[in-house]
Amino acid sequence: MRLSGLLLLLCVAVAIAADWKTAEPGWRYEFPRDHHAHEEFKTEWWYFTGNVFDSAGRRFGYQLTFFREGIRPPAERNPELSRFVVGDLKFAHFTVTDVAGKRFRFEQKTSRGAFGEAGFDDGERLAWIDSWSLRMTADGVFHVATETKDAAIDLELKAAKPPAIHGDNGVSAKAAGEGHASHYYSLTRLATAGRLRIGEKSFDVSGDSWFDHEWATNQLAPDQIGWDWLSLHFTDGAELMLYEMRLTDGAPDPSSSGTWIAADGSTTHLPSSVFRMTPTRWWTSSKRKAKYPIAWKIDIPSYGLSAEVNAVLDDQELALQPVAYWEGAVDVKGTREAGPISGRGYLELTGYAGPLRELNR
Amino acid sequence: MTSQSLRLFRWHVLRYIARHRLLALLNVLSVALGVAVYLAIQIANHSANRAFAATVDLVAGKAALQITAPVGGLPDATLPAATNCRGVAAATPLVRGIVALPDMPGEYLQILGVDIFTNAPFSTFELTDFTARDFDVQGWLRDRDTVAVSAEFARRYRLKSGDALRAQVNGSNRELRVGFIMRTSGTTSLDEHFAAMDIGWAQELLDLRGLLSSIQLQLIEGANREAVIADLRRVLPPDATVATPAQRGQQVENMLAGFQLNLTAMSLVSLLVGMFLIYNTVSASVVRRRSEIGILRSLGVTRTEIRALFLGEAFVLGFVGALLGLIGGVLLAQLLVGTVSETISSLYVLLSVRHIAVTPLMFGSALVLGLLSVLVAAWLPATAAAKMDPIRALRGGALLEQSVNLSLTWLWAGLTCIAAAAALSFVALATGPAWLGFGAAFCVLTGFSFVVPALTLRFTAAADRVMRVHLRRFRHHLVEANLASANVARSLIRNSVTIAALAAAVAMAIGVSVMVFSFRQTVESWIGETLVADLFIAPASNEVAGPSSFFPPDAINFLETNPAVAAVDTFRELELPMGDKNIAVAVVRGSERRNFRFLHGDTGKIMRRFYAEPTVIVSESFARRHHVRDGGNLELRTPEGPRRLPILGTFYDYTRDQGVVFMSQKAFVEIWKDDRVNSLAVYLRPGAALDALSTGFRARFSREGQFMMFSNGELRKRVFEIFDQTFAVTYVLRTIAVIVAIVGICLTLTTLIAERSRDLGVLRAIGGSARQIRRLLLWESAMIGLLAAVVGVASGLCFSLVLTGVINRAFFGWTIQLAFPWSSLAITPLWIIGAAVTAGVLPAWRAGRLVIADSLRTE
Repeated sequence: MRLSGLLLLLCVAVAIAADWKTAEPGWRYEFPRDHHAHEEFKTEWWYFTGNVFDSAGRRFGYQLTFFREGIRPPAERNPELSRFVVGDLKFAHFTVTDVAGKRFRFEQKTSRGAFGEAGFDDGERLAWIDSWSLRMTADGVFHVATETKDAAIDLELKAAKPPAIHGDNGVSAKAAGEGHASHYYSLTRLATAGRLRIGEKSFDVSGDSWFDHEWATNQLAPDQIGWDWLSLHFTDGAELMLYEMRLTDGAPDPSSSGTWIAADGSTTHLPSSVFRMTPTRWWTSSKRKAKYPIAWKIDIPSYGLSAEVNAVLDDQELALQPVAYWEGAVDVKGTREAGPISGRGYLELTGYAGPLRELNR
Repeated sequence: MTSQSLRLFRWHVLRYIARHRLLALLNVLSVALGVAVYLAIQIANHSANRAFAATVDLVAGKAALQITAPVGGLPDATLPAATNCRGVAAATPLVRGIVALPDMPGEYLQILGVDIFTNAPFSTFELTDFTARDFDVQGWLRDRDTVAVSAEFARRYRLKSGDALRAQVNGSNRELRVGFIMRTSGTTSLDEHFAAMDIGWAQELLDLRGLLSSIQLQLIEGANREAVIADLRRVLPPDATVATPAQRGQQVENMLAGFQLNLTAMSLVSLLVGMFLIYNTVSASVVRRRSEIGILRSLGVTRTEIRALFLGEAFVLGFVGALLGLIGGVLLAQLLVGTVSETISSLYVLLSVRHIAVTPLMFGSALVLGLLSVLVAAWLPATAAAKMDPIRALRGGALLEQSVNLSLTWLWAGLTCIAAAAALSFVALATGPAWLGFGAAFCVLTGFSFVVPALTLRFTAAADRVMRVHLRRFRHHLVEANLASANVARSLIRNSVTIAALAAAVAMAIGVSVMVFSFRQTVESWIGETLVADLFIAPASNEVAGPSSFFPPDAINFLETNPAVAAVDTFRELELPMGDKNIAVAVVRGSERRNFRFLHGDTGKIMRRFYAEPTVIVSESFARRHHVRDGGNLELRTPEGPRRLPILGTFYDYTRDQGVVFMSQKAFVEIWKDDRVNSLAVYLRPGAALDALSTGFRARFSREGQFMMFSNGELRKRVFEIFDQTFAVTYVLRTIAVIVAIVGICLTLTTLIAERSRDLGVLRAIGGSARQIRRLLLWESAMIGLLAAVVGVASGLCFSLVLTGVINRAFFGWTIQLAFPWSSLAITPLWIIGAAVTAGVLPAWRAGRLVIADSLRTE
């Protein structure tokens, strides 16, 4: 489950639009078809996160997300209209965590796309805004590229495992009640190689990435104020994704869930009853005065798993206006069935910076 | 100032003022009115300029450069090229248009179609939801016809989020929905006629799909502006203009300068009239206190100090008057600013001035001008007081005025002035500068003022003879009149000044009346020849918003194919770039029945060629302003680059002082590929019914009043409504000048009576009744009035020649056929004499109540 604060902000103002399709059980995933855009759904994103290293072992984290937020459903679009009339809102977030340099860089990009400078699904390009792009070549390899003054990436990502479908019967539930769900799959381990630049310095890097693709319409319930999400690559070849929706009373929503992906690629759905996420350390953002739980203890008794998740850098906040969130690289260390287990991953924390609560009026 | 001078000042000046409160009050009032009128005009002018500059600021935002294209707009495909041009840091597109709001008569909204994705670095306002500080991006982008209005506008019309707003654009009614509020971030207030929309929906609403009104640019720091402009020109259509936003504001200010200078000049007339009055009062006070002056001088007070005392007295009155004038000016400005802005809107550029804008400089200049005028006016009498011989002053009976001989000198001075007026007029017309016309006007007023003493002497001498010789039989009835004429001659200078002041005001009133009347007559005859169609139709929003809406083709077709219709002329009004200026262009498609009155040449021949070839004809004011003539060429920037069009003829036109160029629609479409029209003129077949046609059109296209339709007569009436509105400010100024003058008569008579109390006492003592004294004074008033009327009418006629023939031509390039409103001119002397007699009533009443013993005590 992945969503940026900005996107939530956008969702809140919208009444349930009858013209948009909602995520219903029974969806049959097909690839590469489902890597492309699903314009009949209101909200969609392509979300890449990864931990990469240069040849000297210097570690970087990165995030690149393309968001599509439908403004007018396909039925209402008319190619005759002014090119400035917006069908989809297009925006993207890009971050680089420089662990050694203890510095987090982030940037948001948005564009009307009136002249084709931004859009979705055009040949190899799945999504792009100006010089930021996500491409998928015929061989199934993904290419992500960004360019900003502060940083840039140009990476090639090859899936090491088949897509992991989250949830149950083709839908990942987000709250009780019909329609509060999404279609959600991940490429959980992508062998990553390419170039990364911070400031003036360029690095040849390689490592592992995680790709989430999710589409839905109006999936959240009004009493949800935010969520905590994490994805972990264990060194033994397994991966884990967990999310917990938080309700206005502070309790986790019982619809929260997760997925265990074994080294062989087989997946297991984890309902909220089988795992526990406990925050252990908080960090307060000086920019937005938000208090984020940036270290967690996770327990999955049925897997004999108990682990500590720690941010590699405290400040990995995307201090965007009007809504900020925290998304950053983490380390994981613990035990599984008495043996030691470790790995790296990404943690996402939303709804901690003020405005989110206000928006759930 | 030493304490002695202070004491002297208090004793001599303040006590005197306190004793003569009415006099002081009238003086203060005349200065106050003059200053107020001047200041009010300054404020109104400045406010109009500010309001326009504010709209430029709001629209252009923080742009360093602005790309515009006059016809239709810029193709929106030029945006990426402009955005990616070297040296450009940020670019945002803008679509602009005006919609009328039929449910709020006379109201309009200037719609700004903005791109929220790119306008952040430019924006001078913030968009928010109605209730909170939030902004529903999706609603903004999603909903067709959603607008943001200013908080002031929402408050004024009690609009809530989601309220519908009926809007007229291009002859159709559209429903806008109020969804957002525009808030200004800085201190700049927002013109409430602005509304914002998403640029996509604005293109749809305004029928501007694929077109932009402008592109705003910011440059990279250190970028060479000229180099960027040159680069931009390479990627833009040839007729696109790249300029700083301030240049547009400057253009408009230049355009308004002539109009505003005229108003300023007229506002100065009140001040001038006020000066005459101050002169009079100070003179009176000198005469009345000649013995005081004698005593002071005997006690060792110097001439300089005497002069300072009288100047000081004038200064005190002037200062109080000027201060009051400042307050009055602000109040008057509130009244005038609306009229001034309406006039500017109907003649020049759509403008809404809700608030007056003032600067300290204006107050400063009004104050200084007021004080200066007072000191100048007081200088002569104060100097006369200083020069007074102490012995003669003490002896009493010595009059200030021994200047009968002077009257001849003044007569010559006056005639010289009038000759100078003629010379200045000639130069203003022949070579310019145009403001010499004001010099001529001033010379006319001064020249006639100088003639007054000589005229007064001759008049009184003649009156005396007539009464003695020819009216002997009535002499018992005419005793008072006879005495009155003698009195008028005796206080020659002061009476002359009063007469001159009143005459100047009358001259202005007459000059303005004649000018407006001539103008009206000229326009009437011009309209008679040029406005010949039977029915005029235009989208209703154009009435409010100027030529911003276009005529739908199907409506044109309906009319053209209607059996009752003989012909349809189309009309389009727009601005085109010529050099670095924009000029007004009218595009016509017509039968040859559209009549122009040309200065030279054969109308039929010119028009045949005009409709056949790409050529232009220009208005008289255009020719004068841009120094072009028949047979020459006009070089215009077109989408295909510069193009020279032959000028076939120059025609009379009174629609705008900036001038206008006419082009046939055929030529225009060929070059600009744009066949939209703003209005139609329909000619009926003989015998066809106008009502049937307009009813049919209304039923089909204008059920909700989307179009305004004028029959020939109705349009003429409307033209004159606008005409009269244009001169509304002029009328106000004229009235004020006359009021100042009438106050002046009252003032002069009051002082004269006070001064002559001894004479009047003697008259009473030798048997004159109080009633006779009153009649004596009323006779005097009447004579002053009569003389003022004679001089005023004469000077007014000359003044009107200067206004119509010189100032209008030199400034606006209009040929106005002089015409005189004889009936109203004929009654002018009557109302002036009436006013003068009325002004004399109060002083006369007071004179009748003089206590003989008091008046004669000094004997």
